[in-house]
Amino acid sequence: MTEKDAYKAYMHWLFQASGMGSRGFVRTLLGIGTPEEIYGLAASGALADRLAGRYRKKALALEASASAFDVADAYGKLRERGISFVSLGEEEYPGKLATIPDAPCALYYVGRLPDPDRKTLALIGARSCSPYGRAMAGQFASALAEAGVQIVSGMARGVDGIGQQAALDAGGYSMGVLGSGVDVCYPPENRQLYEHLIAQGGICSEYPPGIEPRALLFPPRNRIISGLCDGVLVVEAKERSGTLITVDMALEQGREVYAVPGRVTDALSRGCNRLIRQGAALVESPEELLRELGLGAGGRTGRTDRGEAAADGVRGRLMNLLDYRPQTTEELRRGYADAYGDDLQIPELCLELLGLCADGAAEQIGGLYARKG
Amino acid sequence: MFSTITSGTICGIRSCMVQVEVDISQGLPCFQIVGLPGSEVREARERVKVALRNAGIALPPVCVNVNLSPADIHKSGTMFDLPVAVGIMAALSRLPQGAAESTLLIGELGLSGEIKPVKGVLPIVREAARLGVKRCILPAENAWEGALVEGTDSVGVSSLQETIEVLNGADRRDTVLMRIAEREAAEESRSREDFADMSGQESLKRAAKVAAAGFHNLLIVGAPGSGKTMLARRIPTILPPLSAEETLEVASVYSISGLLKPRFSAADHRLAIDRPFLHPHHTVTGQALVGGGRVPTPGIVSLAHRGVLFLDELPEFKRETLDILRQPLEDRKVQIARSSGTYDYPADFMLVGAMNPCPCGYYPDMGRCRCTPGEVRRYLRRVSGPILDRMDICVEAQPVAFQDIVRQGTGETSAQMREQVMRARKRQSERFSDTELRFNADMKAADVDRYCPLDGREKRFMEKLFTSMQLSARGYHRAVKVARTIADLEGSERIREEHLAEAVCYRNTEVFQ
Repeated sequence: MTEKDAYKAYMHWLFQASGMGSRGFVRTLLGIGTPEEIYGLAASGALADRLAGRYRKKALALEASASAFDVADAYGKLRERGISFVSLGEEEYPGKLATIPDAPCALYYVGRLPDPDRKTLALIGARSCSPYGRAMAGQFASALAEAGVQIVSGMARGVDGIGQQAALDAGGYSMGVLGSGVDVCYPPENRQLYEHLIAQGGICSEYPPGIEPRALLFPPRNRIISGLCDGVLVVEAKERSGTLITVDMALEQGREVYAVPGRVTDALSRGCNRLIRQGAALVESPEELLRELGLGAGGRTGRTDRGEAAADGVRGRLMNLLDYRPQTTEELRRGYADAYGDDLQIPELCLELLGLCADGAAEQIGGLYARKG
Repeated sequence: MFSTITSGTICGIRSCMVQVEVDISQGLPCFQIVGLPGSEVREARERVKVALRNAGIALPPVCVNVNLSPADIHKSGTMFDLPVAVGIMAALSRLPQGAAESTLLIGELGLSGEIKPVKGVLPIVREAARLGVKRCILPAENAWEGALVEGTDSVGVSSLQETIEVLNGADRRDTVLMRIAEREAAEESRSREDFADMSGQESLKRAAKVAAAGFHNLLIVGAPGSGKTMLARRIPTILPPLSAEETLEVASVYSISGLLKPRFSAADHRLAIDRPFLHPHHTVTGQALVGGGRVPTPGIVSLAHRGVLFLDELPEFKRETLDILRQPLEDRKVQIARSSGTYDYPADFMLVGAMNPCPCGYYPDMGRCRCTPGEVRRYLRRVSGPILDRMDICVEAQPVAFQDIVRQGTGETSAQMREQVMRARKRQSERFSDTELRFNADMKAADVDRYCPLDGREKRFMEKLFTSMQLSARGYHRAVKVARTIADLEGSERIREEHLAEAVCYRNTEVFQ
């Protein structure tokens, strides 16, 4: 075992034995000596005497764990499972993250850590997002990834996962920061994304492997998401949501905040629109965002523009009526009659709608139809 | 001395003849009824004794033994009072020889000797007519039920005294013969509901029409106030009127349940029954739904036979309750097993379900929906998959816009829609004339391949949809089946692209699974 690995091994022991939510404790310990020295002290039962007050009890627990813990073996097993470990102060510890107040003492990760020389952006948003949010997350993530921006997010349902998937699909790098151990895939339906992230990007967590997701673990992990990045892009958020916790963290950490606006009637737009009012940068297209990041316009035209004159006939008219908000066939029929003064029969409407779905221009959600992409 | 009187009882939907054997012998005065009588049958002793006395027939101090044969069928109900009383009189030789020959007697006795109505008259008289019984003496209030049946004379009596007169040969054939209303009469439906009231809900009306035409089960998804119940209530008005045979079937179930009276219109002595429409509350128990009890009685699904069973707020129903519906939906009947035998009740109904898409009602409009994804999933998962699986057509209801409320009187009326439904059904009965199938909804996967061949163009279209809409194999067959019905409605022999497209638009039950 190299010296570096030995350091990591002792650090891993120290980190997982001292339990979660004890960053202060770990820092205090590291003030006493190197992890190996602390292990020595704990194994010989001398650690608790060096500490007083509220840390004494924790130190006793550490002593108990030291005697039953094979440091080298545990670290070897961790490596065998493909899990890497990095602690604050080490060279490969993400530089941006190290600068935040309350930076995690250590990170467990699978795959690669983000490249410190490249722009990194957090893409976050509502879990129960609308088709609009889905479309925006996908468009922004793939355009940013193509321009070489690394996308960090929480691998959650909704915007997070969709954005990360789109970034990976565009051949880019993406990192998922979990609120559980890196070996626990949560939410379980994102299993495919999880595997994909490991292969093409990375998964990280400050919690030791095996930790199950719990509600109170998520807010602290949000500081890592923003901490790893140069800026945070928000797509759809309700007025009070976890997304806004991340934004608060980002502001505390001095990160730039970008928001995609939404319509004022949607509850899911409240968060973003309020952020804009408070000074977040309003971004309407990935190009605009890339310029903000100093990466210049990639020569791509704005895909968020609606291609009004794209198609003609019934199908084209329907395409104009379709919205990111899902509508029933009845609504579309009424809208069609109001806009074009022509009653569309249901069989024809269905035929055209399904044609649009088959072409990928629209999607069926339940019995409702929405514009796609 | 000994006498035998013919009577009948109900086992499930069927009825069977019961011979009431009365023997009177000398000895210590006693009165016994044997032959698996239920407690209400056993109590006939007291009613008969007092009624006979109050009708002026003194029962001498003798030993009376009554046997209800066949003795291994459980007998329940109060219809044996009259045959027991008449049997005693015959055994006492108070009636002319052979007076009760080829005569069926049923009726409940009051203590004064009056005769009260009983349940299940119609099926019993039908069975009697089948077996060649010439005359049925029935409670006056039920006599019209018997009169529906051809091949036997039904005589209504209102007291024991009157019964004796009839048995003594008085000509009492004044009971009017009932006729089952022909179609024209049934069309003057009493229902005041009409699809013309539903303006601006063309998609819903269309879905209801397709469902009615192919007898497909229908699921309506929509927020409160979007017209789900309104739609369901109008479905019976576009189903074809009941045929004479169906009327008798439905009337039999209601007769057994004692519910026939209020549903019968006595005008010009014809029986017209509307298609049943039942909407049990979601707290309904499984037993109430499919029938049961120690002595089984028909449940709500049987009362909905040949009609519509509407389950509003589907996810609020207990899972076990809904799962019980699987057998009736599959077999079109309910089988209840008891130690005394198996009881069959018909249950050929169209299931119409209604539900909100999520607890708040706005999903999937995420701009307005306040539910978390977990809440939505839990809500939808409350409905059991196998039941959703049997919903061929699913349609989204939307609250009506103001301009549609004021724009009244447009759109099709129930009568026009019914006309189209009947034409579509005619096509189906021609197609399935030499099979067991009746409607497109009855088709299984193999039948779909056989009766709904797709041409090259349509096949390619379906192939495209199959991948782009992520249809399952089951979803594919369901869509083709519904497309067949739509083609039937449009009067097209071939299934065309727009039929398939519309059918796929109705397929969203898969989203819930």
